Amino acid sequence: MIVGGCDVGSATGKAVVMKDGEIASYIIIPSTTKPEVTARIVMDEALKKAGLSSLEDLEYIVGTGYGRLKVPFANENISEITCHARGAHWLSNTVRTVVDIGGQDCKVMSINDKGNVLEFVMNDRCAAGTGRFFESMARVLDCGLEGISSLSLKSESPAIITSQCSVFAESEVVTLINEGIEIVDIAAGVNNSVAGRLNSMVRKVGLVEDVALTGGCAKNEGLAKALEDKLGVSVKKLPQDPQIAGAIGAALIAAEKLSKQSEAIPS
Amino acid sequence: MGAWKGENELETTVKSKALQQFQEATETIVNPELKKWIEQGGKVVGYFCSYGPEEIITAAGMVPIRIRATGSTGTELADAYLSSINCSFCRHAFNMGLQGDYDFLEGLVWLNNCDHVRRIYDNWIRKVDTPFTQMMSLPKMTTDVQVEWFRDELKILKEALEKHLGITISDEKLWKAIKLHNQTRRLLRQLYELRKKDNPPITGAEALAVVVASTAMPREQFNDMLKELLEELSDAEGITDYRARLMIVAGILDDPAFIKVIEEQGGLVVTDSMCFGTRILWTDVNEGASDPLTALARYYIQDKPACPRMFDTQPQRSKFVRDMVKEFKVDGVIGERMIFCDLWTGENFMLGGDLKEEGIPFLKLDREYIMAGAGQLRTRAQAFLESMGR
Repeated sequence: MIVGGCDVGSATGKAVVMKDGEIASYIIIPSTTKPEVTARIVMDEALKKAGLSSLEDLEYIVGTGYGRLKVPFANENISEITCHARGAHWLSNTVRTVVDIGGQDCKVMSINDKGNVLEFVMNDRCAAGTGRFFESMARVLDCGLEGISSLSLKSESPAIITSQCSVFAESEVVTLINEGIEIVDIAAGVNNSVAGRLNSMVRKVGLVEDVALTGGCAKNEGLAKALEDKLGVSVKKLPQDPQIAGAIGAALIAAEKLSKQSEAIPS
Repeated sequence: MGAWKGENELETTVKSKALQQFQEATETIVNPELKKWIEQGGKVVGYFCSYGPEEIITAAGMVPIRIRATGSTGTELADAYLSSINCSFCRHAFNMGLQGDYDFLEGLVWLNNCDHVRRIYDNWIRKVDTPFTQMMSLPKMTTDVQVEWFRDELKILKEALEKHLGITISDEKLWKAIKLHNQTRRLLRQLYELRKKDNPPITGAEALAVVVASTAMPREQFNDMLKELLEELSDAEGITDYRARLMIVAGILDDPAFIKVIEEQGGLVVTDSMCFGTRILWTDVNEGASDPLTALARYYIQDKPACPRMFDTQPQRSKFVRDMVKEFKVDGVIGERMIFCDLWTGENFMLGGDLKEEGIPFLKLDREYIMAGAGQLRTRAQAFLESMGR
C-alpha cells in the first residue's frame, strides 16, 4: 500500500510518501505563492526520492495545511490539527500533548492514546508564537533563524521581553540592542517570550505528558529548552524531523481511508 | 471519519422566494419590505438587544427593527469616541450611525444590557440626530420585584412615545401588537420543529436568515412570508448529506455567512441558544393576562430564555442547551463569543465545563462582528468535526 500526505503550509510545503506503514521518502520546500504549485512540486520530488514515477503510484493522498483545499491531486483534505496530532502520536505513541508551531500560527492539541484530538487551542490571529515572529526577531538580531536557537542556548541571563506582539517585541529588542545587552541574552529572551505564550496555551488544554513539539519551529532547540523550563516537564524528542509531522499524519489517514475503502469493496 | 470531501454545499432542496427575500434582508439594513413601509410614510424605531420591547413600538403604529451593523466596512468614525476594547459590534453599529446609515429612524431605544452598548448611547445622543431616543433600565435580577420595575420602564417608554407622536397607545393596541409578535414567535418555532427531523429541510445559515429577517421587516408581511416558507418546507425532501448535527450558542450573531463556513465542513446547524434564535422565539407573551404591560414585563424578565447579563441564570441556560442537545439530536455544540464580550466569555467557560461533564463535544470560538478570515474558522470547525470522529 503506497499513500501520500501533502502538507501545504504558509511557509513551507511538506510531502511524505508512505509504503506499508513506513516512511519511504519526505521532502520540505519553501512555499510558492500558489498553493497548488507548491503541492505539485513537493509531491513530485517526494515521489522521485521514493523511486516512484508518477502520482498514479499513490493509491490515496490526503492534503492538509493552510493550502489543503488547493491540493489538486488529493483524494480529500483533513485539518492540520488532526494531522499533526496523528503524526506526532505515530512518531511517539506516549505523546498526549502536541505543540505545533508553524509559519503563521501555533496550536496545542491534547490527544488520546489513539492519537485522536480531544481538545485544541489555536492562535492564528497574530504573529505571536509563530515562525513569522522568529523571522522578524532574526532580522533585527541579524542572526538567522538557526542563530536564535544556537545563541539562546549560550545565554546565562536571558533578557526579559514582555511583548508577545511581534511589532512591539521588535521595538523592545531594538531597545535592548541599544542598551548594549548581549545578543545571546536577547535571543534567549525571544525564545522565552514565545515559550511563555505556548505555556499558557498548553495550560488551557491541560498539561499531560508526554509533550512533543512539531512544526518548523520545533527545530529551535533553544525554544524547546525554554518551554521545558516553563512547563516544568521535559519535551519528548521525536525520532523524525518534527516539521513533517503534519504530512505524516495526512499519509497515515490516507492509509486508513484506503484500507476502509478496500474493506467496503466486496471481493 | 466519514467520506466528507469538504466540497459539498448544504442547502435546502426547496426553491423558495420567501427564503430568498429573508436572505436578502440579512444582507442590508433597509430591505425592500421595510423600504416600501418607509416610502408609504411609515415610521421605524430601532432597538438594541433582544430585550427591546418590540410590542410597544408596534402598538405605537411603527415598525421595530433590531439594530445590526450589517455591511459595515470600518469603524474609523466610531473609533474617535469608543475605545479599542469596546466590542466590534458596538464600534461598527455606532460607525453606521455616524455615517448616516440610520438616519431613516424615527427613534432608537437602548437598554443598559451591557456596558459596551451603553457607550453607544452616550455618544449617539450627542452625535447622531435621531428624533426620539430612550434609554431603558433593564434589571439584573428576575424576581417579581424586577417585573414590577420593568413594567414601570415599559410604561415610561409607552408614555414617551405617546408624547412624541401625539397619540394614545391603548391596551387594545398593545394586545393586538402582542398577538402579532406572538404569531411571529409561533411560526418561527414551527420552523425549528422542522429542524428536529432526521433530514431537516433547512440549513442553520438559512434558518438564521429567517430569524434575522423577523427583526428587520414589517411583521405582518414577515408572518405571511414565513407561512409561505413553512408550507414549502413541510414536504421538502430534507438534507441528508451532513456529517454531524450542531448547536450554536452565541450572543449577537446575525451573519449567516458565519454559519455557512461551518456548514461547508458538513456540520449541519440544527438549533441554537442565540438572541437571533431561540432566545427571542422560544416562549410567548401571556395573552391571557389582565394587564398588557405586566404581561410584557413578565415575558422579558422571567419567561423568555435569559441572556447571560441576567444574574443567576447560567444554570437554566446550561440546562436549556443540554435539553436542546437531546431534543434536536445534537452531536456537538459550538460556543462563540465576540472578542471583549465579558458576558459571553464567562458563559462559554461555564458551559464548556457543564458539557464536558456530560461528554458532549464543545468548541469555543472567538469572533469579530464582521467576519474576516473564513480560513481560520474553517480549520477550527473542520478539526472539531474530525475530533468528533465525523
